[in-house]
Order: sequence, then C-alpha cells, then structure tokens
Amino acid sequence: MIRRKKKGAYDQYIKSSKSSLFAETMQRIWENPGARVGIVLLAVIVLACLFAPLVAPYGVNDMDIQNMFAGPSAQHLCGTDGMGRDLFTRLLYGGRYSLALGLCAAIFGSVAGTIIGSVAGYFGGKTETLIMRIMDIWSSLPSILLCILISAVLGSGFFNTVLALSVGNVPIGVRLIRGQILAERSREYLEAAESIKCSKISIMFRHLLPNVVSPVIVDATMGIGMTITMAAALSYIGLGVQPPTPEWGAMLADARTHILNYPHLIMFPGLIIALTVLAINLIGDGLRDAMDPKLRK
Amino acid sequence: MGKYILKRLLWMIVIILGTSFIIFTILYFTPGDPARLIAGGNATAEDVENLRHIMGLDKSYIQQLGEYFSDTFLHFDLGTSWVYNKPVVDEMLVRLPRTVIIGLSAMVLNLALGLLMGIFAATHEGKWQDSLTMGIAMVFISCPDFWVALMLILLFSAKLGWLPAYGIGGPQYYVMPIICSALGGIAVNARQTRASMLGVFREDYITTARAKGQREKKVVFRHMLPNALMPIITSIGAGFARIVAGSAVIESVFSVPGIGLYLLTAINSRDYPVVRSCVLFFAVFTSVSMLIVDLVYAFVDPRIKAQYSSVRKGGQKK
Amino acid sequence: MSEKKEKFLSVRDLEVVYTSRKKIVQAVNKVSFDLHKGETLALVGETGAGKTTIAKAILGILPNPPSKVLGGEIQMEGEDLLRLPEEKMLEIRGKKIAMIFQDPMTALNPLMTVGEQIMEGLMLHNPYDKKQAEEKAKEMLEMVGIPAERWVEYPFEFSGGMKQRVVIAMALACNPLLLLADEPTTALDVTIQAQVLDLIKELKDKYETSMILITHDLGVVAETSDKVAVVYAGKIIEYGDKKDIFLHPSHPYTQGLFASLPSMNAGEKRLRPIPGTLPDPTALPKGCAFAPRCPKATQECMGEIPNVKLGPDHSCCCCHLKQEG
Repeated sequence: MIRRKKKGAYDQYIKSSKSSLFAETMQRIWENPGARVGIVLLAVIVLACLFAPLVAPYGVNDMDIQNMFAGPSAQHLCGTDGMGRDLFTRLLYGGRYSLALGLCAAIFGSVAGTIIGSVAGYFGGKTETLIMRIMDIWSSLPSILLCILISAVLGSGFFNTVLALSVGNVPIGVRLIRGQILAERSREYLEAAESIKCSKISIMFRHLLPNVVSPVIVDATMGIGMTITMAAALSYIGLGVQPPTPEWGAMLADARTHILNYPHLIMFPGLIIALTVLAINLIGDGLRDAMDPKLRK
Repeated sequence: MGKYILKRLLWMIVIILGTSFIIFTILYFTPGDPARLIAGGNATAEDVENLRHIMGLDKSYIQQLGEYFSDTFLHFDLGTSWVYNKPVVDEMLVRLPRTVIIGLSAMVLNLALGLLMGIFAATHEGKWQDSLTMGIAMVFISCPDFWVALMLILLFSAKLGWLPAYGIGGPQYYVMPIICSALGGIAVNARQTRASMLGVFREDYITTARAKGQREKKVVFRHMLPNALMPIITSIGAGFARIVAGSAVIESVFSVPGIGLYLLTAINSRDYPVVRSCVLFFAVFTSVSMLIVDLVYAFVDPRIKAQYSSVRKGGQKK
Repeated sequence: MSEKKEKFLSVRDLEVVYTSRKKIVQAVNKVSFDLHKGETLALVGETGAGKTTIAKAILGILPNPPSKVLGGEIQMEGEDLLRLPEEKMLEIRGKKIAMIFQDPMTALNPLMTVGEQIMEGLMLHNPYDKKQAEEKAKEMLEMVGIPAERWVEYPFEFSGGMKQRVVIAMALACNPLLLLADEPTTALDVTIQAQVLDLIKELKDKYETSMILITHDLGVVAETSDKVAVVYAGKIIEYGDKKDIFLHPSHPYTQGLFASLPSMNAGEKRLRPIPGTLPDPTALPKGCAFAPRCPKATQECMGEIPNVKLGPDHSCCCCHLKQEG
C-alpha cells in the first residue's frame, strides 16, 4: 500500500516536472520573435486550409468559363487557372495535401529513425554495427534521389508518396539518435537505473529516450518544411501526387506550360509553399534555441 | 594513413555493390512490363515477347542479376538503352560534363557565399547586419529551388531577355541552373558557419590570441575561422552530393540534358539500364565525394591525423 | 621595503558592468590598488567575485557587447590604459602585459603547433624573422622544461601540466613587465601545481616581472605573493601586506576564509565554512555586500562603509573597525 502511494507520488513528480519543462519550452519559443512570427503565420495557413470549405470563396472544382486564366482581382484573389477555377480556393484545398504529406512523412521518418537509432545506440555491439552499415548503404544515395526512385517504383498516391518522402530521412534520424545515445550511454544515471534492475527496454524508453529526443524533435520540425518542398518537387517532375489533385507542387506542374503567359499560376503556389516552409523553419529555429540546455537556466 | 584509405576504399566498394543490388532488385520487382511499354500500344503479344527476349527479361531473376553484375563490374559495360538502343556510356559521357560543371560551380558558389555570409553575421552578432544576413539565409532555405528557377526564368528570360530559359549551349545557359542549385546550400552553409563561429568565439584560445596583442582581423581569420571551419568541412561531401542529386529537378526545369534529366526520362520510359547506370553514377559520386572530404578532414585536423598515423611520439592522446 | 621600489601600476576606482538580458551586473565596483615593480599582488576571492574581470580590464580584452568599463583609470608607466587607443593597446598586450589563463586545456589553439603559437606573439612584438622567432620559441620551451624538438607538436599531444608550461612560455616570450596569472594552477593535478607555481616564480624573479596572481587558494597566496587583496562581490574589502593579512585578518570575510581552511594542529574536527553564497550581482545589497553572510552584521552595515586604514600598508572596508595610528 505504502509502496503504491510512493510510486504515485513519484509519477506525479515526474509529470509535474515534465509539464513545467514543456510549459517553459513553450514560453521560451514564444519569447523568440522569429518563432512567434512563424507560429502565427503557420497557424493562419493551417487553419485556413483546415477550414477551406468555410474560408474559400468558391468550390474547389467550380469553373468560371468567362474567367479563364484571369489575373488576380477582387473577384478572384489569386486569379484563375486554365479551367477558370479559383486559384485561391485551390491553394487552400491543396494545402491540406501538402501539409498532411509533410507532417506524415516527417513523423514517419523520425519515428522509424528514432526506433532504429535507439536500438543501435542502446544495444551496441554487432547489432549496432549491422544497423549502421545498412544505414551507410541506405544513405549512399541522397534523399531526393531515393525519394524519386521509390516514388517511381511505388507509383502515385498519398501513402506511397508519404513512404517515398520519409525513406530518405530515416538514416539521418538514426545517426542523430545514435550519436546522442552514445554520448548519453556513459552517464551515471543509466548505471543507476541498471543497478536497481530496470529492464533494458524500460531503461531505453523511460530513461534514455526522453534525454536524447530533443534534437530529433527539432530535426523533425525542420523536416516537415523540407518534406513539403520535396513533395512539391516530386509532383513537379511528374511523380508523387498528380494533377488534377490540387496539391501545391502538382498545381505548379500543371501550370508550367503557361509560365510565360500566365505567371500568376506559378507565382502563388510557390509563394504559399515558401511561406509555409519559412514559418516551419522559424518555429524549428525557435524550438532549437528553446531546447538548447546550454541556454536554459 | 594508407591503411585507413584502403579500408575506406574497400567499404566504398561494398556500399556501391550493395546499392546496385538493391536498385536492381527494386526495379525487377516493380509492377508493369517495360517491354510492353517500350514496344508501344499497337504491338502484338508476339512482338512484346520478342522484345522481352532481346532485353533479357525472360531470364530468371538470379540470371539477370548475375549478368548485370558481371557486365557492370567485371566488364565495365553499362549496357544499352532500351529506348534509344544506344550504349548508355556514350550518352552519359556526353551529359556528364554538364551536370558536373553545374554541380561544381554551385558548390564553389555556395561555399564562398555561405562562408562569407556566416562570417559576416557572426562578427556582427546581435546587430542588424546579423539579422539581415540570417533573414536572407532563412528565405533561401525556405524557397523551393525549382520554384526559384521558374521565377528566375520569368524575370531574366521572359521579362528582361538576358538569359536563355531552356537547353544547353554557351556559358549563359549555365548561369541560372548554377544559381538555383546553389541557393539552398548557401543558406545552410551560412547558418552553419555562423553557429560554428559563435561557438568558437567564446573559446579560451581566442582570448589567448587577443591577449598576445593580435589584431582582431587576424584573430578572426587565423584562430577563429580554421577552427570554425572544421565541422563545415565534414558537411561539404554530403552537400556536394545533394547538389548533384538535386540536378534531377533543376535540369528538368531548365531542360538541361544532364545526368539528372537522363535519369528522370529513363524512369518515365522504364529504360532500366539507363536508370541503373544513372543511380550507380550518383552512388559512386556520393561515396567518392564523402571519401575525399573525410580524407581532407583527416589531413587538416591534426587530432584526427594522429589517430591514423602509425608513428606516434610521446604525449597523451585525447 | 616595498616603498623604495617605484610605483608601477596603479588602478583607481575601476568599475566594470556586464549587461545580460537587460539586467546590469556590477562585476567590478570601484576597485583601487597599486603594484610596485617586481612585486606580486594576489587577488583572493570566491569564484565570481570579479577577479578575472579586473585582470581582463587591465589587459583591455573584456568582450565589449556584454561588458563595459564604466569608469576609473589604470595607470601604467604614465599612461592610462583605459584611455589608450586600440592601436597602442595592441602593442602593450603580449609585450608589456601578458596573461596566463586558468584552463590550459582550452587556452591553446588546437589547430596550431605550440611552436607557432609562441612565435605568433614573438613576431608581433619583435623585429624577428621566422628563423629567429623559431629559435626564440624553442628557447622558451626549453626554459619551461619542454624539450625544444616538441615545438612542432600540437596541443593535444601535451598533458595538462605541459600545456600550462606552454602557456607560460607564450606569456613570457616577450619579457612582459606585468604578468596576469589567472588561477594558473587550478585546473592542474596537485603534484603538478607546485611545479608550475615554482616555475612561474622562478621566471618572474629572473626577469623582474611584476605579477597579479588571481587565486582562491590561500596556500598559493602564502607561497608566492607580497601583497594581498581580498575581493568580494567586485570590491576589494581588505588590502595589505601578506604578513598583515595572514597574521591580522581584519574583515569578517577574510577571517572567515582563514577559518574555513583545514588546520593541522588545532585539533578541530569540522571545517567552518562561511555560510551562504555570493549575493546576486544584479541586485547587490545596500551598504556592505557581505553583511547578509556576516556574523557581526548590524544596522550600521546598511550605510556607508568606510575604508579603514589599519597600518601603513593595510586597509579594510568594514564599519566594525576603528582607525589606527
């Protein structure tokens, strides 16, 4: 009875210290002016895309035959495309694809990288050697190339594209986590945990990972931005998500033939990609500064 | 040192063989029949079967794999393009210089500009020059390179008519592809240089140098910069590989007939010998540039160098 | 005896502040002291008391955005170092004033051979060519007890004690008039400490160099210095001959420092630490900064603190002392 009580108190302690750490980190991010701009910008974009049916002035496939290839005007904020569809509307709907692609692929890649990396880093020995050698081969091709190949093999579609986009990030995550764990492995608190007979798995997930995960979070955040760019590039060269799906890259691909006559079709999708990625990178930078233990006092 | 290089070379060969194996296997099991695609829509089943025989697709996986490996690594024969029926090597040699010129120039540009921006920002830490430089770097990182490429075409080709928008020819054809390839790397290098410089800034040996009466400029360039550059050197190899691999997208925007565009076209037309060769090229390129950079690093940093030299005088290692 | 020697360095009302996150930290608060030729002054105090800042201010190498010299003067050979243009200071740094740093592990540039690093200062301040500088650098190495042929080696090839010898060689290469030694032995093993200390003392005597020795180790003070200044929260609270300070420590803080030393013969079983820590430098208490930790503190300590002259060369900032003589 007493023991359980104690354990509860301990958990409570852990929880409270964790939540205060989280709150403190959030506070520090908010204090960073760059990150604040990023958060606001991203929030606006995400909300607008999420509630696209409410925000958008037209339907996603509504065609305005009188106004094909129209430039930006009060009626059509970003103009219309070749079929008279409102570009602003399509950008909002397309954002759902692009943001989801970026988020899913970055999370997927980071989680896979974290698991593999922590196994390598924690167990060491032959397991580690084997995993790291496989990673060497895996990363012998730059991630954009890997992404192109996998996407070509798997074909288009949302989940295939997520897979293709995340594959290249796995070795990066693995190396990052393993490096952190190697540095952390020699610390005394692990010995302390081992000395009271915690199981290996519990040591790994309860003690080790929480201590090494912050660079991965930063990396994954920046990764979302990178992935959105890469997804757009992929669609642009004709792989990944295909037009007429209003994904940002696909919209660029769709418009490439009209670049000289109707530059607004190229300008706006690219601009929204750049703004989104900029916002994410600003947040990532703020996150990194906020999580840097050297700066925390 | 010799032993280290040998070990690295052997490992590089293993990596390249491994990559080739994986690529071959992936392509083999990719759904869809390349022979049918290449034969065209109105080919008869017999024609397709004939073509399959000519292409060697009717053999078993093991047989095909064996032939591919022996052709490629024993006879150094990259095979014949299924679509154009011409040796892949010939086409690659024609295209190679374009990709490499763009890649190398972009690398030089991105190192030079990146370092300058990083040093400039770090030496003005906290002032407006710092914020401005880092702001520019942030924008560079955030803009998709192929979109910047399209914008540049709009500005310099369509509006101003200064530079050709498509194809390859004289030096003017290389300007925009090089700039677009370099953009992201410039920003990455600038940010890394700045962070690295600021880390070195607070080192005691910098104070030592100042205490000697050394001029601030010399303190920066003799003491800070070499130390700050160390971590940047390690990332050059990967950066170069990324630029060259990114050529696929950039070459596609500018229709530059280089290796990257060759690969993309081949992927779309299921021209597997070309795909395999191009991927092999990128793998070799990546591995070699990483190896060279690691060797340079080992040579520049006395601490690493000492680890690999066999003869060592007294003194403690740390 | 020291009165006969000429006054060499004179620091008056030196004030240094650091700004961090819009808070102002009073690092050095109206510090004054004199140093005569060939003499050693020990600055004693806890970590964070402002000792290193004083030394860096003298050398003019305080990093400017965070820290700033607010006022005071540092007179050396008839010139005020604080008002000297940077061009002139470059000539003084390393030539007339040299510094030995606390941590030899980080004080040397890891990418330059020790020879190059010694030569750098030599060539800056002397009309040597490369060959001459090289010879002199080797000579300096020999002098600090390192075989000359190791001049081509990199810092990582030396042990901590050896590195500190290199740092000393570097500092003394141009025969400076004033040596600032910032805890030169703190980072070293106990056995090496004595060697390095002896080396510094020997070389200093040989070249008649004056020295400001920064330390928190009273043993080191006893061994090397002539004068002692006890620094607390950016202020010199007691100043005097080594004899005066060791035999008649007058400030409660100085007394506390001595009381907290382990003593061999007194038969005491426990050490007596000074309770509490240094006050928050962004919000120093009014009056005497030591009052919150002082066993003798009274209402008086909140007011103006007099600098009481206790002897010809002994003064102390404490309101519980009576002027003597």
